[in-house]
Amino acid sequence: MTTTVAVKPLTITACGVVSPAGLGLDALESALRSGVDAYTAPQSGFEDVTDSYPPRPAWAVPDLKVAEHLGRKGLRHIDRFTMLGLIACKLAFDESGTVLSDEDRAETGVVMATNTGSLVSMLEVGRDTLLQEKPYLVNPARFPNVVTNACTGQIAIRNSLTGVNVVVSGGQAAGLAAVRFARTTIGDQRSRRLLVGGIEELSEVAAWGWHKSGALHENAPVGEGSAVFLVEDGEAASAAGRTGLADLLACEVGYYGARDAAGRAEGLRSCVERALDRSGVSPGEVDVVSLGATNHRGLDDLEEQALQEVLDRPVPKIRVSEVLGELYSASVPLQVAAILALWRGEPAEHARVALVTSIGGDGNAGCLVVRECR
Amino acid sequence: MSERRRVVITGLGAVSSIGIGVENFIEGIREGRNGVSPIASFDAGNFPYTTAGEVHDFEPEAILERLDVERWGRSSLFSAAAARLAVQDSKLDPELLSASRAGSIMGTTAGEAQVLQAAVEQWVANGLDNVDGRLAAMTPVSQIANSVNHELQLTGDAQTIPTACSASNMALGYAYDLVRTGEADFMLAGGADAVNRACHAGFYRLGALAEDLSRPFDLNRSGILTGEGGAVLLLEPLDHAVARGATIYAEVLGYGVNCDARHMVNPDAPSIAECIRIAHRYAGVKAEQIDYICAHGTGTPTNDYTEVSAVREVFGERIPPISSIKSMIGHTMGAASAFGAIVCGKALEDGFLPPTANLEKLDPALGDGLDVVPGKARPATLNIVQNQGLAFGGNNVVTIFGRVA
Repeated sequence: MTTTVAVKPLTITACGVVSPAGLGLDALESALRSGVDAYTAPQSGFEDVTDSYPPRPAWAVPDLKVAEHLGRKGLRHIDRFTMLGLIACKLAFDESGTVLSDEDRAETGVVMATNTGSLVSMLEVGRDTLLQEKPYLVNPARFPNVVTNACTGQIAIRNSLTGVNVVVSGGQAAGLAAVRFARTTIGDQRSRRLLVGGIEELSEVAAWGWHKSGALHENAPVGEGSAVFLVEDGEAASAAGRTGLADLLACEVGYYGARDAAGRAEGLRSCVERALDRSGVSPGEVDVVSLGATNHRGLDDLEEQALQEVLDRPVPKIRVSEVLGELYSASVPLQVAAILALWRGEPAEHARVALVTSIGGDGNAGCLVVRECR
Repeated sequence: MSERRRVVITGLGAVSSIGIGVENFIEGIREGRNGVSPIASFDAGNFPYTTAGEVHDFEPEAILERLDVERWGRSSLFSAAAARLAVQDSKLDPELLSASRAGSIMGTTAGEAQVLQAAVEQWVANGLDNVDGRLAAMTPVSQIANSVNHELQLTGDAQTIPTACSASNMALGYAYDLVRTGEADFMLAGGADAVNRACHAGFYRLGALAEDLSRPFDLNRSGILTGEGGAVLLLEPLDHAVARGATIYAEVLGYGVNCDARHMVNPDAPSIAECIRIAHRYAGVKAEQIDYICAHGTGTPTNDYTEVSAVREVFGERIPPISSIKSMIGHTMGAASAFGAIVCGKALEDGFLPPTANLEKLDPALGDGLDVVPGKARPATLNIVQNQGLAFGGNNVVTIFGRVA
């Protein structure tokens, strides 16, 4: 019925990263180039739970030093999931160096990727309904944490951001859904700038979930973290003289869960082709690919095969989840952050182009084209 | 994104406690049917209150053509079934749909809360290492939209928007954007949620749960009743709908979205009023053109006072008739706004004002000039209506629909 049209770039002007490598892009760059000396072991997400983690590596974000980043007030009932997101947003705002006026805050929104919200908060309530003396004796102060949008609500409250506020889910590719949502929101001028990213929280429940599902390679690590990008319309950023880290070009997604493996590979390939086409980028111009399925049994080969078919040559690959662990909802945002970290550390003559690909066990797949700003 | 198309609603699918299929659902709405009953999905014996709006007669196998019902949770089965019904209602060829650039955007509050509930039971009984591994893939909220794409073999976006109780209004707004801008040719949009123990416990603990009846706007209202179901609308470009001679329920004129950024749980009247103004601006309508408001209307005193106060701020002296369908089906959480949108679509097409059931005495503190359409539906010619969704987290979304003459 319609033909695809070129997309308007979104410019990333700042970036906040919280990962098992530590805080910030520098820690991420160093981890990608030379590994992490010692990963931080996770703690239990629950009070009074004695279940251990499953027998596979689990990498937590090192000591969060929450008070240092967020102050001491109003954090008593906030869960770790939301903390990770709040700190990533804080780091992004700090890096941007701009002080937002009241008017700016009304024009600033939040788009976060998550497929679960805080599993810990939800399960805490679930456990209380079974274990407390009466099933309704859940903690009323923590009950609001169970909604999947608790984190974006808190980000809005703590930063007075009254613009569009949303969480989006799409499995492993949830971060791509967030970019698509962001483009529509900014294209329609519903918000002028957005915090766009994703969050994943490690817990014994999430780790056992991965372990028992059989979705990951035998010793693949599970991780956690958040990456958040301050994003605005590309033309608006240039007009205002704001330099960006990178432009987000086309982002194409699809659902191929009803197909067999070959059909899923074909689906991902069509996403890559469409994304290149709508970005006006030829396969020969791609400098690097940031992979999403690295830890996933069967899907990692399928992802690389689809890319080989489109690019038709060996292209350098970034495997961020090899050094940070499986990041699920935060996977795409940290794939993007990894590109930015490596580019920043090693300047090039030309504006480089990267692909961010994703394919998950649920059937969601997609591709985002990222171009370095000059 | 230079392309801009008019977008209309041509298919409606409802799986609700007062009827399955849009005709049964709307018949229930028009007569003010009560959809709440004793809870059957979990043992509510130790709860002081034991009533909810469950869909007891839901048989997913009778509606679904492709999904393996063992591999999807109850909320996903609601959403896929409602989507299947919406496509049947639209009379659009399913083959054409799956070959088109089409997908789904679905709202939810608690996602697959019943799956999570089962996992917690196994955990507490036998330890984490003995929880059924198959539950992991069934748990993510993303399954709510995935189930729709899977059932209908759609290869476009499958995106779930889990922004609590206004989620399906956000889903509807975003799906409308995708069709309007040419990103997609057809979209299924709506929401789904399932009654579950954690939600029942939490609302009871917050003092927001009613004992046995939901009575929005009533002097003696006491709170919400949790409800469940699936509600899905098919969005299609106007030109395409006209060319194939489709039944057009309504045009999506636009929507407004904002965030209170003040409090996680308490709604904020000035912010809701601003959201309504944003919706009017994007839809290109004026307040005086609105003929009916489908309220968020949860049945808590806080919601009633705040929502009515916000509406007064925008509409001034003349408030359009405003009613709450939650009086009949309870609070269906992430599906609530989509049920509201279905009701708006049928109200525009058939010409009636949807009622507020269970009303005995209108709360005088809500002020004068308030028509909550008590009891049963009334005939009325409607041209433009608005559908309000408010949520934990301060997420407000208001959608505006118009009659296509």
